Amino acid sequence: MTPLPPPADLYLTEVDGIPTLFAYATGPMRAGLVFRVGVADETLARAGVTHLVEHLALYRQGLADYHFNGATKAAFTHFHVEGAEHEVVAYLQGVCASLVDLPMDRLETEKEILRTEESRREDPQLPLWRYGAQGYGLVGYPEWGVRNLRPDDVRHWAHTHFTHGNAVLWIAGDRMPAGLSLKLPEGGPRRPMPAVTSALPHSPAYFSDGRGGVLLDAVVGDSVAARLYAGVLERELSRALRQEGGYSYTAATDYTSRRDGHALVTAFADSLPAKQDAVLGGFVDVLAGLQAGRIGQADLEAVRTRADGTLTGHDSAVRRLPGAAEDLLTGRAPRGVDELRSELWAVTPAHVHAVALEAAGTALMQVPAGHRADWAGYTAAPTSSPYAVTGRRFGAGRGDGNAPALVIGDDGVSLTAAAAAKDGTQEAATVLYRSCAAVLSWPDGGRRLIGTDGIMVDVEPGAYGVDAHTMASIDVAVPPDAVIRLPPRPQQPKAQSARSQSQTQTQSQTQTQVQPQSAGAPAGGEAPAVRRTGRQTAAVVVFGLLSGLFAFVALAFTVFGDDPQTSTGEWVGLSGFLWGVTALLAWPAVRILRRSRR
Amino acid sequence: MSQAAAAASSSLPPPDFERASAFPEVTWLRNAAAARDWASIRQYIDGLPFGTDRSFAVVVLAEVDGIEEWLRPLVAAAPDDVLALTVLGSREVDIGWEIRTSARAEHVSKAQFAGLHAHLRQAEQLLIRATALDPSYDAAWVERITTAMGLQLGQNEARRRYDRLAKHHPHHLSAQRRLLQQLCPKWSGSWESAHGFARESLLSAPEGAMNGCLVAEVHLEHWLSLKGQEREAYLRQEHVRAEVVEAAERSALHPHFHRGYGWVGAQSSFAAVFSLMGDLPRAAACFRALGNLASEHPWNYLGEPAETFVRHRDAALAKG
Repeated sequence: MTPLPPPADLYLTEVDGIPTLFAYATGPMRAGLVFRVGVADETLARAGVTHLVEHLALYRQGLADYHFNGATKAAFTHFHVEGAEHEVVAYLQGVCASLVDLPMDRLETEKEILRTEESRREDPQLPLWRYGAQGYGLVGYPEWGVRNLRPDDVRHWAHTHFTHGNAVLWIAGDRMPAGLSLKLPEGGPRRPMPAVTSALPHSPAYFSDGRGGVLLDAVVGDSVAARLYAGVLERELSRALRQEGGYSYTAATDYTSRRDGHALVTAFADSLPAKQDAVLGGFVDVLAGLQAGRIGQADLEAVRTRADGTLTGHDSAVRRLPGAAEDLLTGRAPRGVDELRSELWAVTPAHVHAVALEAAGTALMQVPAGHRADWAGYTAAPTSSPYAVTGRRFGAGRGDGNAPALVIGDDGVSLTAAAAAKDGTQEAATVLYRSCAAVLSWPDGGRRLIGTDGIMVDVEPGAYGVDAHTMASIDVAVPPDAVIRLPPRPQQPKAQSARSQSQTQTQSQTQTQVQPQSAGAPAGGEAPAVRRTGRQTAAVVVFGLLSGLFAFVALAFTVFGDDPQTSTGEWVGLSGFLWGVTALLAWPAVRILRRSRR
Repeated sequence: MSQAAAAASSSLPPPDFERASAFPEVTWLRNAAAARDWASIRQYIDGLPFGTDRSFAVVVLAEVDGIEEWLRPLVAAAPDDVLALTVLGSREVDIGWEIRTSARAEHVSKAQFAGLHAHLRQAEQLLIRATALDPSYDAAWVERITTAMGLQLGQNEARRRYDRLAKHHPHHLSAQRRLLQQLCPKWSGSWESAHGFARESLLSAPEGAMNGCLVAEVHLEHWLSLKGQEREAYLRQEHVRAEVVEAAERSALHPHFHRGYGWVGAQSSFAAVFSLMGDLPRAAACFRALGNLASEHPWNYLGEPAETFVRHRDAALAKG
């Protein structure tokens, strides 16, 4: 019997000049090819190009028996496989060959598949509020760029990002696979990490959103203590909100290293609609407890023991490989288990407390609609721009000066709120052409400009009466690369206040809202559908029932009332009267149904 | 009848609204605050036996004009001083309410509301820290019930705060009185929950405890919310009368009634509600227990406090 090699450490080697991490493992061989490219490297107008390359690179694998997959993340793209040695070799060499020569005949089909995948996915909101419509914020947006990508664009992206110098391989098995050769596109050196942008002038910050529950993330230094903080926070949230309070069913946290020396701690607690206020209050208090230094030693030990179990488990090395590959791509060498364990056991409550304080300073919290977090010291994240551009002004509809107005200037566009505040300032959403992340462009002339800060302005020439010449000036002024051409839309939207836009357009949600000062119907069209109130629902039921009753009486009289004792004239008159009453009763219900939505 | 005239027509001494008359330590606390002797104040309050309603002392200190001027730097220098955080938080609430004034909401300007909310937010953040540092600190939770109400954080959130406190202090009179306000319809609650909470507080407290006064207070709130003849009709209902009598017999009229912090207010609530019901013998018993001690509340619900106190006391003692 041969002695087993030390199981838990990672070994650094090379395959065709590509840095390779190896770990001994039994069972089927596992491998991953990782590139330093992801969504955060894209622009909003090209969003999805990395994902598209990943799909195209896997197409030729077809319906292989072995297990394989691909994953496009914020800053990394993974190709993963599990199977017999020859299968792993075939997969890796196949992926590399495809990256050199992508199957462009599949381009349109894979675009369709991406659209289907997208329709099932819910885009996270925190990234766009934190980072804006660029860099790490792009994971919160739809893959708008995919539609207009031409074969050359995709090929260029693959040959500049999925390159020999920008890859790391990892293998877990009983030996390095024989005959493995990886031929990737040449290309420049390793890509630097994406720039970290910010759309938050102040933190901690918060925003309100319709969904229930409380969601928070915070940027902290990437460390073992921070990882343990996330674990301790989860235990405290579960205890306060689920076990003791009974306000939440789920309370959970997550820790994701950004691999640039920082990590994101995410915390979530769901809520019954009736208990949202208590969930928010309890959430704030749990965070405050940790910030005040109340770190339970028992909690810390429980979280530490679990982390240690992961490090010493039989598949510890294999689990660490994908992350270690990402680290290697950012110039960080793999670390030994002993080193990681000694670091783990050195963490004290004071270290965790320091992380809690760091997290308190960078937190971004999503609270349920109708709630705020300013009382707890969180600043409202911006939902409008600090200024409006000057230029030609287009009022919606009647132009009574009270409606929202569109301003089109030389530098950009602004949508100003219905009325100016008392101090003369006016809330506005502004997108400058030079910092325009994307322009959605419809064939009917409508445009949506999205700034790199995430603020967006809809320019609807029909609703605001913008002439063709002015519209053309916008198309000329925006960066050509930012334009996204979309197919015809079913309906051209009416002029709406920016706020109702955000209520009706759930996809592509960004921070548009110029809060209208008056809730009246915007000029130029019907009142936007607003949420139906309980009283309105009751009215619908009452009037609906009454009109139904009268309709029955009217119908009965119309059918059976024409007997010999009544003249035809009387019969016509009375029938008409009964139907008239029915219509009068039905009208309010119909009106409410048309004006509101559930 | 003017206050002076009312007092003059009575053969009994005028009401004494001074808290220090019932609790001499109030004078000591005020003097210590005037001397900015924080160490002594802290030593005194920290030394109170566990279970003492610390809100009483905190409220006394928070009423001291200008105390924020030296408490703010003190808290900045000692951010872990739970008592200092609590007193300053309570003081910020008071300053906010002074800006708002006690006028009805429609007579309060936007700027006044903004001032109130700004001070409530400051208070809340001090108090969040206080309860985070010591989750069993009753006085900080009591203030947070008030900030939750003023900032309109919601019924469940107010109740959550009370529950956090009640876990350590199940019969905390100051906390129950503040939560009762939140539970009333005027603060988006309901009579069902307000009456339910008052009854729950009565029954869970030991015999002779002050907590039964919540039953008297909730009926006074209900009475106050009605108009004209409805008011009298409300208190004449048999079940209302029975509830108030039961509560009084378990608290203010119990032979072992506990005269802790807040007892003058508790006794006064029963005196007022029995007077309004026309149950003069029981009202008289309450007035006898009070002597000339009085609290602004609930007499301010009935009119000018001194005048109404004297009128109802004299009427009760003449017959009862």
